[in-house]
Amino acid sequence: MKRAITIEPITRIEGHARIRIDLDESGRVSDARVEITALRGFEQFVIGRPAEEIPRIVTRICGICPWMHHLAAVKAIDGCFGVSPPPAGNLLRELAQVLAHIHDKILHFFFLAAPDFVLGPESDYSVRNVMGLVRSEPELAARVVRMRQLALAMLERFAGKAIHPVAGVVGGFARPMDAGEQRDLLADGQVLLDFACQSLAFAKERIFSRFVEEMLSLGSVTTGFLGTVDAQGSLRLYDGLLRLMDPGGGLVEFPVEEYDQFLAEHVEPWSYAKMVYARSWGEGISLDSSQPRGIYRANTLARINVCDHIATPRAQEELEAFRELFGRPAQGTLLYHWARLIELVYACERTLELLADERIVEPLVHHVVEPGAGRGIGHVEAPRGTLLHEYATDGNGCITRANLIVGTTHNVAPMQLCVRQAADRLIGNGAADEEILNRIEMAVRAYDP
Amino acid sequence: MNWDAKIIAFCCNWCSYAAADLAGISRLQYSGSIRIIRVLCSGMVHPQQVLHALDKGAAGVMLIGCHLGECHYLKGNEVALARAEVIVDTLEDLGYASERFELTWVSSAEPERLVKAFHHMIARLADLDRGSPVFTAGGAGRLINET
Amino acid sequence: MKPRLNFEWLHGCSGCEIALLNSGELLFSLFQLVDIVHFPLLMDHKYIADPGEEGDLSLPEADIGLVTGGVGLASHLKILTAMRRQCRVLIAVGTCAGHGGIPAMRNQWTAGQTMETVFSTATTDTAPVPDGVPALLDRVSSIDEQVRVDVCLPGCPPRPEMIIAVLEALIQREEQRLPHKSVCETCPTVRTGKGQATIHRGTVRAAYTPGEPLDRMRCLLEQGLLCMGPVTAGGCGGRDVPLCLRSRVSCRGCYGPVRKYGNQLLDMMNALASNGIDYRTIIDRTSLLRFSGAHGRLRPKGERK
Ligand code: SF4
Ligand code: SF4
Ligand code: SF4
Ligand code: FES
Repeated sequence: MKRAITIEPITRIEGHARIRIDLDESGRVSDARVEITALRGFEQFVIGRPAEEIPRIVTRICGICPWMHHLAAVKAIDGCFGVSPPPAGNLLRELAQVLAHIHDKILHFFFLAAPDFVLGPESDYSVRNVMGLVRSEPELAARVVRMRQLALAMLERFAGKAIHPVAGVVGGFARPMDAGEQRDLLADGQVLLDFACQSLAFAKERIFSRFVEEMLSLGSVTTGFLGTVDAQGSLRLYDGLLRLMDPGGGLVEFPVEEYDQFLAEHVEPWSYAKMVYARSWGEGISLDSSQPRGIYRANTLARINVCDHIATPRAQEELEAFRELFGRPAQGTLLYHWARLIELVYACERTLELLADERIVEPLVHHVVEPGAGRGIGHVEAPRGTLLHEYATDGNGCITRANLIVGTTHNVAPMQLCVRQAADRLIGNGAADEEILNRIEMAVRAYDP
Repeated sequence: MNWDAKIIAFCCNWCSYAAADLAGISRLQYSGSIRIIRVLCSGMVHPQQVLHALDKGAAGVMLIGCHLGECHYLKGNEVALARAEVIVDTLEDLGYASERFELTWVSSAEPERLVKAFHHMIARLADLDRGSPVFTAGGAGRLINET
Repeated sequence: MKPRLNFEWLHGCSGCEIALLNSGELLFSLFQLVDIVHFPLLMDHKYIADPGEEGDLSLPEADIGLVTGGVGLASHLKILTAMRRQCRVLIAVGTCAGHGGIPAMRNQWTAGQTMETVFSTATTDTAPVPDGVPALLDRVSSIDEQVRVDVCLPGCPPRPEMIIAVLEALIQREEQRLPHKSVCETCPTVRTGKGQATIHRGTVRAAYTPGEPLDRMRCLLEQGLLCMGPVTAGGCGGRDVPLCLRSRVSCRGCYGPVRKYGNQLLDMMNALASNGIDYRTIIDRTSLLRFSGAHGRLRPKGERK
């Protein structure tokens, strides 16, 4: 008998999505997909607004990474109005961004993903969560909660509002940092770096070692990758060149202004999320799991794959060890978690670097801005992937057109492939218990959508 | 005219309400659509109250005070005048036709002027509502493909 | 036995949930206070009881239900109705749930226009707009437009200690005491009673001496910056000063109107006019309703009734 299995909602992810698996008469998987079931329409309702307001509106695209949208928008509007921030303005923006990466990674790894690994994918749903983690590993849980709070407190210290921020302003940053704040933040940053290194050590010892096989096989697919690097090919989160790697490992680099030559978005009737694919490969897009076309991935593993190195010492050490084990590019879907923790180390090291830069306390944090007609593209590497905002403004400096490519959408097409692969492998004879379905969800959770 | 909408008329105690009283005594006829609310001064009607009346389904709102310079609280009607501008502009922002609001001055000795203002407003609103309303109140949650 | 809690999210951004997860010790007190039985962000309880099969949406019974986000899709309506049915007390958490929030800005367009725009951006391939998904409702509403709501707790996001306080009061059957102050009433800036007669563009920055505390800075509205403090519910800074003001940036109204049915646009214009400020210098006035466009406040442009 033909039948369909629906997993709804996909849990321990941010947002609304469901998995639908179709089975044929013999109980074999005939189709599987991840359907994104929410649409809010930011591209529509930013139209007509004074452009300088946009960074304070688009934050609400995502409550986990409002800083990413805030900064991508502020950079894009800088472009529309033809200004660029003074050095302190840029340093403060980047500091806010890396701190936001830190608390996001801690959240995702420990609150959302870790229960599958620490408590086991087979454990009952009522304990396989952060509450269960609190009961079984109270010390770790308490530490994790405190570290997240610390990263947030650091943000609030110099940027006021941490969720749905307001401190990035067109032309720079809203207020300067003083020497006292700089001193305190440096001390706090050191605490975070220690925690990051311990987290990675903990994960390697307690988690990754036990799940290596799973990491390489569950939801495994072969795709290209997209990320951002500087002129030396080092990993960058705040700015730089986009680098697109094809499944064979070949690289192209382009400035963000040319993104529309390299990327395009595909629409399927069963999902509100558009699927971004590599237009420049000239092969279109195909979700056929036996012969996918045009598909690349973004987010942590992608960035770790496309960069040649990481410019901070401890993260570089980790990157080398990682490449030693899994090569470049590494394709295992669950390796996203590992890559996430390497990036966590980088973000902490970068925090300290930025704070050590004397220019960060300079009083000039923003330039004078004149609203006017223009076009601007802003991009940052968000936790979930490369984030692009493009706007055009009229003579009054009001928005006439917007195009947003949100981090998660790069991974929507690969997620289809991963879920299909996981479903094929796990649902042999039409039997799907709760554990199997959870394992399928784990393939989605790796992307932290 | 089978038009049974309600029009809220805020009348200040000292001039326009007195005029309404006099209209009654003088047996001047006006439509039952007009519902008078007596306020001490036109300056005390907040724009929010105007909007509230419309949100609750009133077809229109009138604010009627003493002639400029004759307010019994000296500058109350000047406040009303400043607010009226805000109301007219804002109603359009909020999706209401600005014709749904009217500010006018009537002294206690001018019941005919008051009644004329009522007639005027009724005619204007009836005109406006000749086509059926496009946006039905309480329509939230309607499925787009249901209509 | 601890009270049971359902926590659902609808047309929002998950910021409300994240604020709670960020609250350190407070989060543990939440875990101690209640038994969470359904919470898609944190635990794997699904809508359909029998794992993986088709069926009706089922939620566990709970003493308290928290809902974030407004209602923008047919699926939200279904979940919200189930929440109302299964929860003895229903709490609207956050400005989206109570006033529509940012997503209700789309109420200035029809659902069809929005779909059209989103699926025809420069990099999108030509294709019909999706139809195999829960349909967009004609407009975004707050949850109290759809079902009876017992408590509304505003904020974008709300302060986690407020969420916990409300839960505690509820559990101890105390009266709910939500603040009724405006942002201005919690703002220490210097007010002289005389200010600029016009409003600058948002690109103009506040004037102040770096290093000096906020109570030495002139009120932003008096500096001619559009600050919505007067018409916005206070509380974003907890016992301390308002959050945006800490960055020397003006309030944009994210806690919604001071009184539940206030109108931030109308009230702001009225406040400006009564203070002799030319409100016509504001461009795009409907932006003042960016957090409270539900309840029919924002409507498609050009559509008048
Ligand atoms: S109220 Fe604000 S934080 Fe909460 S869901 Fe809505 S947009 Fe997000
Ligand atoms: S208008 Fe703004 S700056 Fe002035 S007192 Fe109110 S909140 Fe503070
Ligand atoms: S100052 Fe206004 S906009 Fe800023 S957080 Fe507070 S209520 Fe929200
Ligand atoms: S008393 Fe009549 S307008 Fe003031």
